[in-house]
Amino acid sequence: MDQASNHSISRTTVYEGSTQYRHWRFSPEQLAETRASLNTAAVAAIREAFEADSPGSSSQVSFLNADEENLLVKLYIGKVPQLCGHLHFAEEVEATAITYLKRFYLKNTVMDWHPKNVMLTALFLATKTTNNPISLELYTSRIPKTAPSDVLDLEFLVAQSLGFDLAAWHAHRALWGLWLDMQNLPDVLIDDLRKAYDDGIAHVRASRLTDAELIYTPSQIALACFDLASPHLARAWIRSKQTSPPASPPVSEEDPMLAILKPIQIMITNQGQLPEVESVREVDRRLKLCKNPEKVVGSNAYNKRLEEKQRKADEKRKRKAELVRKAMAAGDPFGSELAEKGDLDDDDDDDD
Amino acid sequence: MDAVEKANADRQKRWAKDQKIGEGTYAVVYRGREVATGRKVAIKKIKVGQFKDGLDMSAIREVKYLREMKHQNVIELLDVFSSKTNLNLVLEFLDTDLEAVIKDRSLVFLPADIKAWIAMTFRGLEFCHRNWILHRDLKPNNLLISANGQLKLADFGLARDFADPGYKMTCQVITRWYRPVELLFGCRYYSTAVDIWSVGCIFAELMLRIPYLPGESDLDQIKTTFRALGTPTDEEWPGYTKLPDYVSVGQFPKTPLRDLFTAATPECLNLLSKCLIYDPKKRISAKDALYHPYFSAMPYPSHPSKLPKPAKKESNRPLEEVDGNVEFDGPGPAVRANPPNKLKRKLSDSELGGRPIARKLDFTAM
Ligand SMILES: Nc1ncnc2c1ncn2[C@@H]1O[C@H](COP(=O)(O)OP(=O)(O)O)[C@@H](O)[C@H]1O
Ligand SMILES: [Mg+2]
Repeated sequence: MDQASNHSISRTTVYEGSTQYRHWRFSPEQLAETRASLNTAAVAAIREAFEADSPGSSSQVSFLNADEENLLVKLYIGKVPQLCGHLHFAEEVEATAITYLKRFYLKNTVMDWHPKNVMLTALFLATKTTNNPISLELYTSRIPKTAPSDVLDLEFLVAQSLGFDLAAWHAHRALWGLWLDMQNLPDVLIDDLRKAYDDGIAHVRASRLTDAELIYTPSQIALACFDLASPHLARAWIRSKQTSPPASPPVSEEDPMLAILKPIQIMITNQGQLPEVESVREVDRRLKLCKNPEKVVGSNAYNKRLEEKQRKADEKRKRKAELVRKAMAAGDPFGSELAEKGDLDDDDDDDD
Repeated sequence: MDAVEKANADRQKRWAKDQKIGEGTYAVVYRGREVATGRKVAIKKIKVGQFKDGLDMSAIREVKYLREMKHQNVIELLDVFSSKTNLNLVLEFLDTDLEAVIKDRSLVFLPADIKAWIAMTFRGLEFCHRNWILHRDLKPNNLLISANGQLKLADFGLARDFADPGYKMTCQVITRWYRPVELLFGCRYYSTAVDIWSVGCIFAELMLRIPYLPGESDLDQIKTTFRALGTPTDEEWPGYTKLPDYVSVGQFPKTPLRDLFTAATPECLNLLSKCLIYDPKKRISAKDALYHPYFSAMPYPSHPSKLPKPAKKESNRPLEEVDGNVEFDGPGPAVRANPPNKLKRKLSDSELGGRPIARKLDFTAM
């Protein structure tokens, strides 16, 4: 077996063990449902925060709905390639950052965390997870109006929201595998193939603006894109993978492999464009008024939350001190050690 | 509380931290347990706050790769949670490591024991390679051993993926004594073969009970290697003199492995020699190694539970509970009574007569 097809076969099985396959694949219905319930819960919580801040204040607020949230996220997904071009980042970094951004907003609302800083953080994290690290200082110095703390403050939250699933599999890699494999097809002109690959990559990039990667596998998306670019080559390749002899009739439109590709292609064609700036601007304007006051530094709600945290920490420290005191009184010279262990606390200041 | 924060807090509550058991380069390791079951775990706490570039690369690599792999011979990452500015990796608890086993002079290894350890190493490594992951720091100290004798690849702080062939990578990886010559000559396009070389060195070390190629500097490492295995000819490794950092260290003759490994079987030496082939393209793969006649020939590999293990380190901590399977019993390999020895995972000092310690290299400038 040649190396390229060897690649794609062992990849399928390895892919099924991946966190992407196990944790980050959904049906379109599941996606819609996840976003809707996330949005409902967020609105309820933020409404409460408004009320806590100043009673009655939430009634005039027009919160974002799930579609509007998604629209805003999409706008910022679209900014990743621009930024990557500007910073000369590899395609792997770009694709990974976009994956992170999408996954993040399956766990969080834009009303808590604005996508601008989340996008910058996801991109910075992606440079590291794809083994293309760059210093934070250099990174932020090359992006206008951005300080290291904008990224550092969110990095942990982003990693956590991803469930620490940092590995991501991408369609552009799978497309590359296809391109290698197709070079072995009989009677293929390398120039045709190269052109198809270039067009295919453009479709893969468009697919990043859609939910495709949350629904389909990288190789399905790659083949769908290749088929958009060159149905002739894609079908010749599909035929070559089927067990029947090469003289078999051309692949029919009802072929199950093609049937899987169709919805992906429709999705890319219909949704693979950047949103209208005007409509997003309106959403962003409303977001300024409905974002969670608890997350706005200096607001009453923010300060209250901070105080609450402080109070809890103080209590913990007091409990700890009390334990030490008791242990000392009981004549246990290791009292301090005792108080440091166990599930009592997680401060771990011992070795800082 | 946000859903994400709450999920983290819930995860955190599942685990309790007990005392400190080790200190790595970028982390403190604690013993801990699962609150619900009492299951023993290791909690590796990585301080994030101290890094000006945020989450540190070693931590990222370790989390990224361990999250993707579940295999009997790869350490299992049970959970990840954060506390304040710390990242906590919850790992299965492993009693000891192969370095401690090798250095415990009271233990006698049977050929079947060595075969079992090498088989488990190759099984774990084959799984990594199948998942497109290079370990890049294999050495006895990073092969941890569980209470029931299973060997597990651990410490993925230097690992990377190689799905992209021909991608330039740093050659500053792998602790020197286990580093193949192509890396010493600055080769930047390498692959799974680098890990295989390390396994070859570990294989030899298991038979010799001392490191096989203990170079004192990078240059000396090349010399030490050539002294042991002969200077490669251009025929056996075409074009190697064109590698970026190539230096000539002189001509050394090839001495048959048999001269040093007098007790080894022909199959054993054959596999060893295939791990230590200079040309990375000709070096055996982990998968082929598993099919090598060495593993099907007699004697069969020892059962993991029967493998020699250092005596349990003396308990000097109030909370240490005895966990049942620490004593050797039964018809295992001859084990002499042994005063309780302090297991040191990290340091390789005195016992071997003050050999230089191979340090983990700084790889930050990749
Ligand atoms: N799973 C584990 N079970 C028991 N001890 C462990 C475990 N992982 C690490 N340790 C201990 O902590 C030390 C440092 O951990 P390690 O992962 O090697 O960190 P580093 O990457 O900094 O070398 C080890 O040498 C060992 O003593
Ligand atoms: Mg280590």
